[in-house]
Amino acid sequence: MGPLDDQVVRADSLTATPDGLDIAVYSHWYRALPLPSLVKADLTVDGERIEPSTLSVTVNGHRYGFGELAEHGDEYWFTTDPVVLHVPVETTPGREHRVQLLLGLSIPYILTGPDRVPLVAPSSTDKTLTAAGASS
Amino acid sequence: MTDTAPGLPRLGTTLFSLSLEQRRPGRDFASLVNEVAARDLGPGLEMVAFQSLRGWPRLSDAAVREVRGVIDASGPTPSCLAINNDLGLYPGRLLSDDESYEYVAVQVRGAAALGFPVTRVGVETGPAILERLLPVAEELGVKVGVEIHAPLTIEAPPVAALKDLFTRLDTEWLGFIPDMSSSMRAVPDAVDDAHRAAGIAPELTALTKELWAEPGPTMAKFPELERRAAEAGANPAQVGNLKMMFTMHGKMEPERWADFFPHVVHVHGKFYGVVEGPEGLTDPSIDWPAVARVLRDQHYTGFISSEYEAHAYSDRYNAFDQVRLQHDMLKSLLEAEPAVAR
Repeated sequence: MGPLDDQVVRADSLTATPDGLDIAVYSHWYRALPLPSLVKADLTVDGERIEPSTLSVTVNGHRYGFGELAEHGDEYWFTTDPVVLHVPVETTPGREHRVQLLLGLSIPYILTGPDRVPLVAPSSTDKTLTAAGASS
Repeated sequence: MTDTAPGLPRLGTTLFSLSLEQRRPGRDFASLVNEVAARDLGPGLEMVAFQSLRGWPRLSDAAVREVRGVIDASGPTPSCLAINNDLGLYPGRLLSDDESYEYVAVQVRGAAALGFPVTRVGVETGPAILERLLPVAEELGVKVGVEIHAPLTIEAPPVAALKDLFTRLDTEWLGFIPDMSSSMRAVPDAVDDAHRAAGIAPELTALTKELWAEPGPTMAKFPELERRAAEAGANPAQVGNLKMMFTMHGKMEPERWADFFPHVVHVHGKFYGVVEGPEGLTDPSIDWPAVARVLRDQHYTGFISSEYEAHAYSDRYNAFDQVRLQHDMLKSLLEAEPAVAR
């Protein structure tokens, strides 16, 4: 909840690549978070639910499977940088897609409840945007 | 730099106030620091290390030189570096005490390298870790302060444990960082914007503000808020947002900040908006005249970092302008009576 929610997926976030659709995603949290904090990316593209296990993610120039992020606690997603979700959806430059994303960030220093579980801060996006062509 | 009179608390800004500014195209660390200086919003400069410093907590020597160079060239005085103890770093477990100590100690060393005299941790850094950090703090000459932020108050058990620790150790290197979120007199109006954007009916926002303002401990009001909000049609996510109003805005009497002395090492001037009222500048949600009285009475001469946080709810106000208004208000309140010699 707040002004950063609208910036999670931006007007120029979609890129069509030969491998599928790339979505640049920005954090709705105010500080850099360790990569295991990216705990939830419930993604639906054009009404089709995308299994998180089929996503890969580029952050800091490294590409990881979504499930591998949990192992990289010594690496951080900086405040103003996007991560890029690589989505196995066929597309071409100029094509429109409806992107629905529920992003959940585990906040490692805010522990809640008697079991001291990290808060998960959600941010919800529902936008229809046009994919640009990949720059070479 | 404009400063308060000798013997009074000093003013400053945390870059956290500029969280939305930081995201604007063309902005970088240097441009934010330079604009704080150009707008005379020092002399104190605070930042959240993980927010502002790419590469934290392992800055290269070159990065340290660059950050110091930006601050030195623009003129503000480093006041406090907010660091984090990311206990929930890995899924399914919390850091061990050894891991937690190392995680924080590395950052205290980083703060020293950058020239900050104080670091801020959260209450998740408990007495055992703080006691282990004391020799590091002493050796480096960097204080470690625990932020007292809503929903914490002087009555919260973790706060009492910290007060016992600081009293027992009798040291200047560990202490409290009061944050005014714990002692508010009203829920800020900026939340209306966030609730509107989240599809929360204005009646629900009004209900939450009304319950908040009623007497009694805030935590005891959660069941009634949940029940009445659900009856009024709020979905679970919206109820969560409404409950956050209770968590983020504490109701401790501002006079109780006196009980944290003499262990106060820094102050967060948290605020959500200063407006021009019939009698001059005023903050509708925080009783700054009362806070200023406490700080003066306790002879506090450290920094008050202006921490504008309405950006979490609304983007319609300019954060630089808001900090300017708060500085003008605070300077006038603090200097209202003759100051004692510093």
